[in-house]
Amino acid sequence: MFACLHAPNFSCQAALRAKYADAQNRFEQSPVVVLGGPANLLKVVAFNRPARKAGIKMGMTKLQVENCGGVSIHKRVTEHETLAHGQLLACAKSFSPSVESTSPGTVLLDLSGTEKLFGRPQVIARKISHEARMRGFVANIAIASNPDAALYSAKGFSGITVAPRGKEAITLSCLGVDLLPAPPEVLETLDGWGIRTFKDFAELPAIGLTQRLGQTGLYLQRLAQGRVIRGLLPTESSKKFIESYEFDDPVETLESLIFVFNWLLQRLSTKLLLHSLATSELRLVLQLEVRQNETDQPKGAIGGEQYQHSWKLPFPTQDNNVLSRLLQLDLERQTFAAPIKKISIEGIPTKPRISQGNLFAPSLPEAEKLEVTLARIRGIIGVCDANAVKCVGAPKVLDTYKPDSFTLDPFLTAGASDFAPVRPIPFALRMFRPALETSVKFAGASPLFVHLWSGHRRVIAASGPWLSSGNWWNKALAWAREEWDVALKTQAGIGLYRIYQDQMCGQWFVEGMFD
Amino acid sequence: MNELASNLRKTIEAKVPSAFTVHERRNYGHISSGIEKLDDLTSGIPFRALTEICGSNLASSGKTLVLMLLLAHATRDRYCALVDSGDSFDPISGQAAGINFSRLLWVRCGKSKVKLPPLEQAFKVADTLLQSNGFGIIVVDIANVSEKIVRRVPLSTWFRFSRVADRQSSALVFVGREPHATSCAALSLRISAQPANLSRKLFNRLDLDIEILRDRIKKPVRSTTALHIKSQWA
Repeated sequence: MFACLHAPNFSCQAALRAKYADAQNRFEQSPVVVLGGPANLLKVVAFNRPARKAGIKMGMTKLQVENCGGVSIHKRVTEHETLAHGQLLACAKSFSPSVESTSPGTVLLDLSGTEKLFGRPQVIARKISHEARMRGFVANIAIASNPDAALYSAKGFSGITVAPRGKEAITLSCLGVDLLPAPPEVLETLDGWGIRTFKDFAELPAIGLTQRLGQTGLYLQRLAQGRVIRGLLPTESSKKFIESYEFDDPVETLESLIFVFNWLLQRLSTKLLLHSLATSELRLVLQLEVRQNETDQPKGAIGGEQYQHSWKLPFPTQDNNVLSRLLQLDLERQTFAAPIKKISIEGIPTKPRISQGNLFAPSLPEAEKLEVTLARIRGIIGVCDANAVKCVGAPKVLDTYKPDSFTLDPFLTAGASDFAPVRPIPFALRMFRPALETSVKFAGASPLFVHLWSGHRRVIAASGPWLSSGNWWNKALAWAREEWDVALKTQAGIGLYRIYQDQMCGQWFVEGMFD
Repeated sequence: MNELASNLRKTIEAKVPSAFTVHERRNYGHISSGIEKLDDLTSGIPFRALTEICGSNLASSGKTLVLMLLLAHATRDRYCALVDSGDSFDPISGQAAGINFSRLLWVRCGKSKVKLPPLEQAFKVADTLLQSNGFGIIVVDIANVSEKIVRRVPLSTWFRFSRVADRQSSALVFVGREPHATSCAALSLRISAQPANLSRKLFNRLDLDIEILRDRIKKPVRSTTALHIKSQWA
């Protein structure tokens, strides 16, 4: 048993679906026209039933359509049709794994063995129709014993059609022969013979037909009789998870962008969900409208024709709300030199996260919530400092002798390593970053006064000098210093400070206070 | 007289039902500060409350040391956050104290080109972390911010922090030079250090005096305690 899911006037439906949430109602009730061809010579390439009633005909120009009045005009966008067809395929795949993408707007699916799961053919057809409607389509559904009978039933009859086994020819009998995939000359010949319907064509003698139209004619007759038995050509599911949208007019405000982002991410996560996958990396490409006058760019704005950015998430997710929030928080920090005309989002698929709950694990923020929190914090304090060291993360001491060498790793709640024993230390250093420039007065080999907090402080005790150096083989990175730990007398009491002389430049610095 | 008071009470309660209700603050538990003597006196750092640890920024007071010990103890079984308004945290000292870095979120404020003042950044980050609700301790180090600026923070800000912390599961700890949260803080400590011993050209011992300025949950028997921490080579 095969089913066909056919969206009539597919270009119109795809155009409406890309813009409106209530695309089905608009398609059924208001006249809609899709124009295609060169920009200076746009002509009608598709229109719906209300538009036909309004007097629209194929090939009319935009001006002629506008004269009809009250007609919703849309430009044909290939991406919209591709996306819409992808949704039709996704709809079909929710009923059967064996799906054929027959043509744009038409999908065939093999329903063999699904009766126990979905019910009788009428029930399955209703379910498919409902699912298609949920995805924004007005679709014709037909069920027959062979793919082609289902295909022509769906193309010829609106709503739901079920052709009983062995009675396909009767079901198809009233359809016009122009539905058949016949070359124009064959259709012309049939027209000359007075053959108008499938029934007329099916009743022609096979031998005489073959003598006149050859094997093509015989094949077409078997199609009209609903007797062609063939298997489906299953579509390979795309391994790329890309969603894109091109604006009719370039967009300048973030609110409009976020609205479309949410929609694209919702589709992306639905697609991932259907494949039982998640994503741990998002790639965003924004096509900018290039301005002729480059001088009017805002300061610090991102220029060029394209903006690319990718996010690596520490966990795979299918939650479009988390992805949307992360995108929004990142884009809030950016300023673009030109309005955006096209968005493309790609999710790199990976296996979903499987985690076992643990009653004895320490309480921690949910991974998704934490990532959004970290993105918010980055929005408040920035991403990196002047030395390109991150501002948010888990600290990590670098394996080097150079003092104050550290980096920040991504903060992950999963896989935290075991703790080290707590060791009481007599002193903890409170760093001054950057180190404070100072001057030191020596008495013999020991420091006597250190200039600090706009005053000379007497050194009560000193420990040093401690010499260290490194990277001597690289002039740019070489460092050498002489360190002293000094106890200084201040108004508030005794302060223990670490001072050092940068021996590359001879300047003294206060690195921090033991506190 | 009693009847008049009772009638008056009834009249007020009819208009404001909770006017005479006493809201008893529940004890949501404590986390050890990592210093036994301090825990004996105060029960530790309270969850769902604001704690202040203060000490001089000119002389060595030991507040950073207490902070390190607290984080070292807390990161053994909890995730912690350190909001560092002056970027003064030393990871090498933290490592030496035994802080589990994989469970510590370090937020370095005032380092990038963002124009927001560091104190405001620290407060906003602390608020965001509190709302995320999952960190055991959130430490906000504002000791490097000028005292003039911190004094200008309105009391309503501290009150708000106290109220938000009350509804979350984290312990909120502010490290500064002076106590500012007043009655909004559940625990307030002032730490000062005695002159360090110098032996063979090495500082090897720090004597801390911890004064309990305020403890809302457990009334301390004594208000001060002395702590001696020796280095391993002493």
